[in-house]
Amino acid sequence: MTDTIMEYLAYAAYGVYLLIIIGGSAVAVLEKNLVRAFIGLIATLFGVAGMYLLLQSPFLAFMQLLIYIGAVAVLIFFAIMLADSRSDGDEAGLVFGKKFIRAALAGLLPILLLTPPIFVHPASTELLPDVVTVAEIGKGLMGEYVLAFELISIILLVAMAGGVFLAMDRRKK
Amino acid sequence: MPALPAPLALYHFAAIVLLGMGIFGLTRRKTLVGMLISVELMLNGAALSIAASAGLTPASTVLGQSATLLVMGLAAAEATLVLAMIIVVYRRFGSTRTADLTTLQE
Repeated sequence: MTDTIMEYLAYAAYGVYLLIIIGGSAVAVLEKNLVRAFIGLIATLFGVAGMYLLLQSPFLAFMQLLIYIGAVAVLIFFAIMLADSRSDGDEAGLVFGKKFIRAALAGLLPILLLTPPIFVHPASTELLPDVVTVAEIGKGLMGEYVLAFELISIILLVAMAGGVFLAMDRRKK
Repeated sequence: MPALPAPLALYHFAAIVLLGMGIFGLTRRKTLVGMLISVELMLNGAALSIAASAGLTPASTVLGQSATLLVMGLAAAEATLVLAMIIVVYRRFGSTRTADLTTLQE
């Protein structure tokens, strides 16, 4: 009996996180004020972190908070500084016109194409996610998947060096 | 008790919603910053899809979670580079609106 209740509670939590994701992403793409759109993005990231918790991977949820909400969000906020973020600024004039309809079609197409298959022909899955500890992930990154680990460090280094090189002021020769 | 949908399908649905919203925002936004926000939405959907697929199927969960961490790292690298590009574009054009970023019609 308690298992059934727990199962329903899990579905209820899923519903709450899904609502946060849908609401946050709607604000992120519809809001004219860029700072408010940014807050919508952060709400969405929190919703996805909740999904990771439901998947019994608290380490991923923690990394989501640390990397996305901690680091990427600050970078995006930096970029917002360069745009006119007010409601009547750069993004003003986003009306429900032709462009809106075309963009809505482009966004709806993958949703309409991909949603029926996953519900009509669901993959045979377990009801409860596997639990792995941080130690197991660490061993995987240091052993079997060490190439991916090294690659991402190189990519981060190159991206950082490229970012510094691009943004460097080269006018004073 | 009504039949509840499989958990994996639900997580994939959330990922698809993020993908659709991201494409919608990417085609609709008028500034580079707004487009960057939309790309982050799509990347997050991809990471969620990978983590859910690995956790709820017999596939290696360690591999899935490492791949999710890889996507997060890629997103961080991408955000760094896009920020640098936006700074360069702002220096050259004085604006980050995509409509202003043209040199052919001067």
